[in-house]
Amino acid sequence: MTLLQKYLANKPAGSAAFSLLKEKAIRTVFFFTAFFAVIVIAFIILFLFRDGFPIFTQVGIPGFIFGMDWTPTAMVPSYGIFPLIVGTIFVTIGSMVFAVPLSIGCAIYVSEIASPRMKSILKPAIELLAGIPSVVYGFFGLVVLTTFIRTTFSIPTGETWFAASILLGIMALPTIISISEDAISSVPCEFKEGSLAIGATRWQTIRQVIVPAALSGIAAAIILGIGRAIGETMAVLMVAGNAAIIPDPIWNVLSPIRTLTATIGIEMGEVPVGSSHYSALFGVAIVLLLITLVINLSAVAILSRIREGKTLHITDRIFVSRKTMDRITGLFRYLAIACVAIFVLIAAPLWLSVSILAVIGVWYVAKDRLTQGQIQKIAFAFVVAAAIIVVAILAIILEDIVVHGLPAISWEFLTQPPQDLGRAGGIFPAIIGTLYLVAGAILIALPLGVGAAIYLIEYTRESRITKLIRTGVDLLNGTPSIVFGLFGFAFLVLYLNFGVCVLVGQITLALMVLPTVIRTTEEALKNIPLSLREGSLALGATKWQTIRKVVLPPAIPGIVTGAILSIGRAAGETAPIMFTAVVFSQRFLPTSIFQPVMALPYHLFILATNVPGSSTNRYGTALVLLMLVIGVYSIAIVIRNHFQNKARG
Amino acid sequence: MSENTIISTSNLNLWYHEKHALQSVSMKIPKKKVTALIGPSGCGKSTLLRCFNRLNDLIDHVKITGEITLDNEDIHAPATDVVTLRKKVGMVFQKPNPFPKSIYENVAYGPRVHGVKDKNELDRIVERSLRHAAIWDEVKDRLNDSALGLSGGQQQRLCIARTLAVEPEVILMDEPCSALDPIATAKIENLIELLKQDYTVIIVTHNMQQAARVSDYTGFMYLGKLIECGKTVQIFEHPKEELTENYITGRFG
Repeated sequence: MTLLQKYLANKPAGSAAFSLLKEKAIRTVFFFTAFFAVIVIAFIILFLFRDGFPIFTQVGIPGFIFGMDWTPTAMVPSYGIFPLIVGTIFVTIGSMVFAVPLSIGCAIYVSEIASPRMKSILKPAIELLAGIPSVVYGFFGLVVLTTFIRTTFSIPTGETWFAASILLGIMALPTIISISEDAISSVPCEFKEGSLAIGATRWQTIRQVIVPAALSGIAAAIILGIGRAIGETMAVLMVAGNAAIIPDPIWNVLSPIRTLTATIGIEMGEVPVGSSHYSALFGVAIVLLLITLVINLSAVAILSRIREGKTLHITDRIFVSRKTMDRITGLFRYLAIACVAIFVLIAAPLWLSVSILAVIGVWYVAKDRLTQGQIQKIAFAFVVAAAIIVVAILAIILEDIVVHGLPAISWEFLTQPPQDLGRAGGIFPAIIGTLYLVAGAILIALPLGVGAAIYLIEYTRESRITKLIRTGVDLLNGTPSIVFGLFGFAFLVLYLNFGVCVLVGQITLALMVLPTVIRTTEEALKNIPLSLREGSLALGATKWQTIRKVVLPPAIPGIVTGAILSIGRAAGETAPIMFTAVVFSQRFLPTSIFQPVMALPYHLFILATNVPGSSTNRYGTALVLLMLVIGVYSIAIVIRNHFQNKARG
Repeated sequence: MSENTIISTSNLNLWYHEKHALQSVSMKIPKKKVTALIGPSGCGKSTLLRCFNRLNDLIDHVKITGEITLDNEDIHAPATDVVTLRKKVGMVFQKPNPFPKSIYENVAYGPRVHGVKDKNELDRIVERSLRHAAIWDEVKDRLNDSALGLSGGQQQRLCIARTLAVEPEVILMDEPCSALDPIATAKIENLIELLKQDYTVIIVTHNMQQAARVSDYTGFMYLGKLIECGKTVQIFEHPKEELTENYITGRFG
């Protein structure tokens, strides 16, 4: 008898039954972590409706949605959110007019034209752009962009629809670029070779074969970009001017404007709990949530269709007939003409209008006389310009904040509490507060998220339950951060009576980053080949042993990357914590998780909007926050690249 | 150089990274004949084929020395426009690669990119090309359907029609039948027979019977070198080199 045989023979009776029980228990635990996402989204909807319901009975759904006046603090308050809906839609349209051409140009450049070297510079730059916290964008917009608009167009204030659109456009760039770049890169090489072999130029190939083949992916990218723009709070709040009016005339892009998100962000802090106004803000959140849910679910549906197609033969790709294509290009052409017309007629100063018209005129005269080679040169020039503009935007933002922020940084600034409302002194409590919030958030989100991913990938086949869970995760992912803030306030602060404190902030942030953790862990687990699992199971290992010893170890880099990305996101967010966890000024650090804290993003927000004369410390805070988030993201990128290279061998 | 040569290479070398993939290849391709390139996998026959329309330009880390001429003009000369070159030298790929467009649009794509706009002219070209590729009768009633709905053999003939639509001088075929069943293969082989009345065809194939059936001339390649090149009859019946004989008789490969 060998040692092993002896061991197996001596195994106590009943251990099989025990291990079966253990496996079952583990499976149940994972199921609950996965189902948690569904519970959360259900609770969010429940509590929004619970607190928002009174306003619908008071003014009626049509009166609420189509009411023209939003004057909640007037003697006779009026709760009509139509101007806010219009504001949200207008700002979003404006941001897409700016972001879509730029993003698609940049995506084409990165995937089809850039050398590998350029690619290795551009891709991290785009990821960096995605990592900048929205409050830093808002701060930059407030200080630089609105000033620029005010002086360029000689108007009294730069806080306008135009400014909000540009800023949101910039923020949507990384989303649209990276997803459309993915879509373009995944067009099979055969299409490209087939077209080039006929003697089409590279540009003809891109325009007539590659982009049409990637169209559904690009559409999904744009939809997700729209979702990002609609859900954004802090940045838009800081630059839009926030007058609850419909622009007059309706195309006046230099009019101030107010969005649904900004309304919640501005008014939530000062509203008496339980009043009609309070209820109306929850009503606003319901409308906002419904809009973003529809948008995100449609993008998810398109993307999952593409992903399924990818594994099958190319014949399953979505076929776009010429008529549809012509219709789409036609639509875009009219849209472009309308936008240029609005810009030229209303907004731009004379010299700009004249030069734009001149360029268009020259193009129409010359168009038919150009050779395909010349057209390609012009097109590539535009595409390269798009990429340069994207990089330039990043450079300008970084340069502005680094140059102005560096003088503020000192040992005292980093280690002292603020004085004189933050005009002097340091930001030490804010740094520590942010660290507390982030650490707690990740401690909560990581086990839940990893557990959910393990359940989804390892324990189930696709079924109704997994579909429900996945939809829950997608919905959670598309929920605007301000809605998380509202939910945290209504459920944790008030209903569970935790009060405004660190713990509530941690939980709220954890819920917000949960989808990111689940997604990245799922991806990491999917990359582990089935044969490894089979190898382990074939030796008689149990499912849990296989997961713990064979599947999880190689997936750890992926999971760590996801965790770090979540940390970066949580560190930069303002909206979820501003009603749930933070105070503006605090001389001492909290001694328990049931006390409020200071946090960097919120500190920057208040300094920038409410404390005049704090210019140096604003920039200092922005720089510290930016460095913190960028540092975290860089670590994630380095880890990912390191393991990707390793995997390739 | 003889009147009847359309493409000729002299001392052509190609490196991919460190790999010397083509070594001093010198050969002449006769006009309006079918030339087959045979040899074991990885011998460089597809690489050589892709040199003729400079499709290797798309691949990073490729270095080429030596000369390739088409109609006595150096295809690597600075004055040569690669787009014009590819219009003259069409290509059919191993795996059928119709675009995700309608059947009509697939064939019209080439003429369109070369500036044909007139609808009647396009209709004429599409019909002629599809007829020439022996697929017209099968698709004439569903020209606006997706090309991706066709069978593999039909897709490949559509790709040939697509190539014919720009009226090339030379058609390169990179193992055009390797993804097809025997019946579809027979159709393509018949088509090649017809095509050589008007076009020069260069075909890379793994299948020696196919080379013997369809080609007038054959080149045998081995480890990046052109071992032997001549009339198909001569290569198959009286090879000069021992390597060629071993390969053809199936002693390795």
